Amino acid sequence: MNNAQASSISSTIHEFKLPDLGEGMHEAEIVEWLIRPGDMLKQDQTMVKVETDKAIVEIPSPVAGRVSEIRVPNGQVAKVGDVLITFETPAPANTTIPASAESNGAAATTPSSVSGEPAEQQTPASRQRVLAAPAVRKLAFELGIDLAQVPASAPNGRITIADVRSFAENSSTASAHPASSAPPAEPQPAQPAQPFAQKESPPAAVEERRPLSGLRKRIAEHMEHAWRTIPHASAFDEVDGGGLKALRQSLAPAAEKRGVRLTYLPLLIKLLIPVLKEFPIFNASFDEERREIIYKRAYHIGIATASPEGLLVPVMRNADRLTLLEIAGTLEHLVEGARARTLALPELSGSTFTLNNVGSFGGSSGTPIINSPEAAILAVGKLQDKAMVQDGAVVVRPVMPLTLSFDHRLIDGALAGAFLSRFKELVENPLQLMLDMA
Amino acid sequence: MVVGDVTTAVDVLVLGAGPGGYVAAIRAAQLGHRVTLVDQGPAGGTCLLRGCIPLKALLSSSERYAQVRSEDLASMGIHAETISLDWPSMQAWKQGIVDRLAEGVRRLLSGNHIDYVQGTGWFINSREVRVEGEYGSHRFKFEHCILAVGADAAAIAGCSFDGKQILTPEQALAMPELPASLSIFGDDYIALELATLFARLGVKIKLYSPGEQLLANVDAGALRLVQAGLRKLGAQVTTRATIDAINDRPVVISQGVSPHTGGLHLDAAGIETTANGGISVNSMQQSNVPSVYAVGDCTGARALAAIAIKQGKVAAEVLSGQRVQFAPLVTPLVVHTTPELASAGSSAGEATQAGYTIVTGRFPLAANGRALTLGTDNGAAFVVANADDGTLLGVTLVGPRAGDLIGQGALAIEMGATLTDLTEILYAHPGLSEAIEESAENALGRAIHVLSIS
Repeated sequence: MNNAQASSISSTIHEFKLPDLGEGMHEAEIVEWLIRPGDMLKQDQTMVKVETDKAIVEIPSPVAGRVSEIRVPNGQVAKVGDVLITFETPAPANTTIPASAESNGAAATTPSSVSGEPAEQQTPASRQRVLAAPAVRKLAFELGIDLAQVPASAPNGRITIADVRSFAENSSTASAHPASSAPPAEPQPAQPAQPFAQKESPPAAVEERRPLSGLRKRIAEHMEHAWRTIPHASAFDEVDGGGLKALRQSLAPAAEKRGVRLTYLPLLIKLLIPVLKEFPIFNASFDEERREIIYKRAYHIGIATASPEGLLVPVMRNADRLTLLEIAGTLEHLVEGARARTLALPELSGSTFTLNNVGSFGGSSGTPIINSPEAAILAVGKLQDKAMVQDGAVVVRPVMPLTLSFDHRLIDGALAGAFLSRFKELVENPLQLMLDMA
Repeated sequence: MVVGDVTTAVDVLVLGAGPGGYVAAIRAAQLGHRVTLVDQGPAGGTCLLRGCIPLKALLSSSERYAQVRSEDLASMGIHAETISLDWPSMQAWKQGIVDRLAEGVRRLLSGNHIDYVQGTGWFINSREVRVEGEYGSHRFKFEHCILAVGADAAAIAGCSFDGKQILTPEQALAMPELPASLSIFGDDYIALELATLFARLGVKIKLYSPGEQLLANVDAGALRLVQAGLRKLGAQVTTRATIDAINDRPVVISQGVSPHTGGLHLDAAGIETTANGGISVNSMQQSNVPSVYAVGDCTGARALAAIAIKQGKVAAEVLSGQRVQFAPLVTPLVVHTTPELASAGSSAGEATQAGYTIVTGRFPLAANGRALTLGTDNGAAFVVANADDGTLLGVTLVGPRAGDLIGQGALAIEMGATLTDLTEILYAHPGLSEAIEESAENALGRAIHVLSIS
């Protein structure tokens, strides 16, 4: 008698959890699963797109195996540490994959920068062990929690039992389900006969509710915070754009030959930099907690851009070190990337000053909200011909409105006015830049 | 089909009654299971019956003998006239300890209502094991199976153990007569302990270490003290030795162990093994076959009873539905030489290679009052800590009772203690533990009983 050998070698289930993708994110929305249950995946094969604060991140598969179950479907929000998907693999292995260890290196767009600073490289040398007593480690394993994900309440970073339990509770809070919108009411059939009889119909839906999600939610939170904490004041001015127009016209063909479309915005950025250098408070931010002004020595210009889902502010890093051509080229890349939602997180954060081209939207000018935690924001309106008075006569001039919103805790009206004047001076006489060209 | 072949359904079947097996059996019984424990011989395994316990017993008795013979006693005013050694009696004493511990294990097993079956088991398929013993043959259909069948001394090419000229460590411990001289080939704690034990008893010892050092991954400073101790006992030490160059007989070969899995018919159950024949398991001691677990030496893990014991508990808890794993940060290692050596965590070299920026501290036992009252000044305490935050990465102790003191170091590292934690608490004075504290203070630049050059 020969019992059949044990049928197939049994498999182990791996759980994959949403990793921390950096920038202090706590959750992400599942945009699109690229695979289905039953699919065989190769290791590192892109399996899902998730949306964090601003960027869409692709996450690769941590193992080679068969997709067993997708736990968080498209459109739902998962918290860091939630199990997203389970796999079956043939070989015995640890039953959970520490998400941070596997995914940090492999995530397609892992953010590595902090605002203003060059990316701090985690060299293989600086390994930090998670400090947790044996009983804490035991509990974490029991609850299926990766200790590297648990924030420590103690200042020295030691994780306690309480930390693990509270992390477990927060992770298991059900993710928000979008409220279903009220179904449109169906009109009852009209009563027959009397034309004046009241139609008996339930009240039609007067309103529809939709929760804030994704980018809109982030924008709302950001704007709320900026408006609540920063006392906004705005200074207005108008700039004669004649010199700017002429300069653009003369440079555009040469730029075109070098494959770059030269619009007004690159020129404005170039003209903005010296003004920021002359007025450092405008390139600063306010540390609310420590009540300190942080003067930034780098110049990362945020460019407010409309994307299909909402306002994004891609960042042109070290704009002061770029040539006009490079600014124009980078700008094209940033704007296109914002629209297509292909920018990485470092390209969407860390700005020191923001420029908002409201003129391109329609309408001629606007009052912008400061991109917290910056000190000010400059909105440039549409460049259009207007009737102006010059030497007592009415002339037609191309005019561009400027609106400078500033943090009145740090900047007074007089300084704002001076900033605008200096900027205006440069925009109206852009060739002045040559005086300081190295 | 064998006449009279009966299949018995069992809940938990444990193969092997060494520290891994009997502990797993008892834990499973504590958790409410009916357990059947199978072993070729009496309970105790290599550790209790042939290995750890016999070795440590002989180390103790040989240490007493050596102390009594040394000049130190005379300087204390103690004069012993005729000291003689009766090896067979010493062996009998050793056996007495072994028997007493084995009896203790038997009582624990019966007190936990564990069925003990004497015999050898192997797999018929992934759910059944056949056991054959003197009484006959039996088939067990198990709900859960824990393999704790241990390992044997690894042979090396060209040398087969004959128990007389070429010996395994176990065979060396069971020698009926003390040889005049003995060669030992190995670079693990067993080789050093055998060298120490026999040298104390007056055997001419030649220790051949295949490696660069007597022990791998131990602080060089600590090793120097151990090596000096061996030389003081009259042992001749050679490093970078090869077995072919050794012609002296008898020779003991200590080159690790190989898992004793050959007779289990693992393929009949579809159980996967690693390259050296150890049963492949995850951190929850699960093999690739559901409900089959493996613990201890037979998995190819480091051959230490402490590991087998803990893994046995893990396996029993996992099969009972608990979510636990074997994942210690630190494995304490002890070598019973003179001076004794014990370590927990990383040596300075290992920590640096792992990428840490380290700070180290050292404290010589010559400055420790308790050590001196114990009649020894040979030894030191070493600490290695993370320079960034002071967390302890490793502790090495050389000196009396190092093996019993290292638990403090192991606990400190597991708890994530810093140098400051170590130096904040009180230590009994005079005490050997103070050496740990002062090595930590030395790392912080302020040990009291050592002058620093500033």
